[in-house]
Amino acid sequence: MEFLNYVLNGVLVGQLYALLALGFVVIYRASKVFNFAQGELMLVGAFTVWTLVMASGLPAAAAVPLAFVAALLYGIVIERLFFSRLIGESVFSMVMVTIGLVILIRGLVLVIWGGMDRQFPVLLPTAPLIVGELILPTALTIGAAMTVVLASALWWFFNRSRFGLTLTAVAEDPATAISMGVSVKRATTLAWMMGAAISTLGAIVYLNGRSLTLVSAEIGLAALPVALFAGLESIFGLLLAGAVMGVLQALVGAYVDPLIGGSASSIVPYVFMLFMLFVRPTGLFGWRTIERV
Amino acid sequence: MDASGVYFISYGGDRSLIRTRWQWAALAVFMLALVLLPWLAPERWVSMGYTVFITAVAVIGLQICTGYAGQINLGQSAFMGVGAYACALAISRWHVPLPLALVWGGVAAALFGSLFGLSAARIKGFYLALTTIAAQALFHFFALNLPQKWFGGPGGVHIEGARFLGIDLASDRATYWFSLAVLAVMAAGAFGIVRSRHGRAFEAVRDDDVAAGMMGIDVTLTKMRAFLVGAFYAGIAGGLWAIALRHVSVEQFTLFTSIWLIAMMIVGGLGSIVGALVGTVLIQLAREGVAGLGTALAQTFPVVGQEIVFASMNVLLGTVVILFLLFQPKGLMHRIETLKAAYRRWPFPY
Repeated sequence: MEFLNYVLNGVLVGQLYALLALGFVVIYRASKVFNFAQGELMLVGAFTVWTLVMASGLPAAAAVPLAFVAALLYGIVIERLFFSRLIGESVFSMVMVTIGLVILIRGLVLVIWGGMDRQFPVLLPTAPLIVGELILPTALTIGAAMTVVLASALWWFFNRSRFGLTLTAVAEDPATAISMGVSVKRATTLAWMMGAAISTLGAIVYLNGRSLTLVSAEIGLAALPVALFAGLESIFGLLLAGAVMGVLQALVGAYVDPLIGGSASSIVPYVFMLFMLFVRPTGLFGWRTIERV
Repeated sequence: MDASGVYFISYGGDRSLIRTRWQWAALAVFMLALVLLPWLAPERWVSMGYTVFITAVAVIGLQICTGYAGQINLGQSAFMGVGAYACALAISRWHVPLPLALVWGGVAAALFGSLFGLSAARIKGFYLALTTIAAQALFHFFALNLPQKWFGGPGGVHIEGARFLGIDLASDRATYWFSLAVLAVMAAGAFGIVRSRHGRAFEAVRDDDVAAGMMGIDVTLTKMRAFLVGAFYAGIAGGLWAIALRHVSVEQFTLFTSIWLIAMMIVGGLGSIVGALVGTVLIQLAREGVAGLGTALAQTFPVVGQEIVFASMNVLLGTVVILFLLFQPKGLMHRIETLKAAYRRWPFPY
């Protein structure tokens, strides 16, 4: 029963990773950009939620939607300021810009909100969900349900809707997409809007009732291996990949950590990523276009 | 491009890095100024000076790996950390002579780095950059969680009394000269590497690895070599850092530090060793300058908290980096080169 509990908790944490990775994948699928500032994007979303809910005194029901509107705006601003100027440039320089964004966003967060610890608002119930002998964190359970719903919606959007298919076309080959009359600019804007909004949702689920600092951004990197495992283009794959990674991490945390007295579970994603890169760089469900050497 | 009238009648002259008497003179004056600086400038400049020198070594390594060979490396500061730990342990535990310890730090970092370069055998592009993020996480994990006796856990490692040629490196001035000497050697080595067969192979792989492969270059090996060299430089820088601060701990080597190193390289210009030096000096001076200005501002206007001023530094420098990427992606060195060429051709356009 204890084992089952670890596994279920692992699955739920894994869905959180999947949610954060979703923000990454959405941007990657529409512009082929590895967004190294994913954690920072989440950070901005988190601080916006904090400001609107805790500092402005608005009721949560009004503040949270406002936070998402703000996130969409951040996406538009980032695209307008930086990426719209880079259309046609090499992917290398776009990725470098996301690295510059890491510095910029961290600085902005420090200037606007300062470096102290903050209590993130409790938007999802914190009392654990008890089913028989199983104890599940409620926030993560709700988050997992949202992840599944969101993934389904995004899958439909990218694979069935006309607009979503144009995004896919842009990711596959921007030059051809432009010549077929697809607006690359609109595609990237939408991708960054969605990326920022999903990151905000991830922040709400992840930080619910915890303290919020600059260090919180690091989970953005821990979500990268999940995206890679699923294959960077796959959306449903993320759910499975997240679950596998979460279970792996939970089991290592439960059975290996006490043995060595350290946080072996914290490097599980990275070791797993290295392993994946060697064994199957395309991930489980990625497009088989990664050039092997 | 040489100025008109500069030509050589020997092969050796044509190959030389420093081409005219004036260049020799300028270099000599510049080096002399750097050597004499600790006597002339205030104390603060000296410590700033060695910070710049040490960082420059790491950025040169990054320049070779990313600027020349085109392999994005987000783990440079982890490689620095490995070098720092290796060097610190060698000096304080095993009492190895300093130069050997420094080289050992470089070798240890190079081994660690090539481990991640190894994945170049399987994957390419940005996927390779992801493995270097893993390097960062693994470095932190191992340094913190291996038995306390090995790496000192969260406390880190202290170095007592590093000595070189009988001189105690405890004073800031001694550290300054020592790191200047090391930087000079490493920079000279970098100029050699990038002009060599391997350096040209790096550039070929960066520009088009398929074409490079067709020309008979072993692409995988070349990429691994780039990681190896870059990490070696990082290791040397880490060792110097350990000697300068006399203390090594994990917090000094974060992913954020790696990102700063990349920023310095971008501002200086990708694919230029001088660019690495220029970028490091500019960004480090800007950081120091803004910090100094920030303290002054905070004293004049107590309303503006000191924290905010320091944070604005990140905003300012982050903006500068992005502006460089957008409007001057080839960096400052490229701009200087074009200006120089335009000056020489003046009044003709080309």
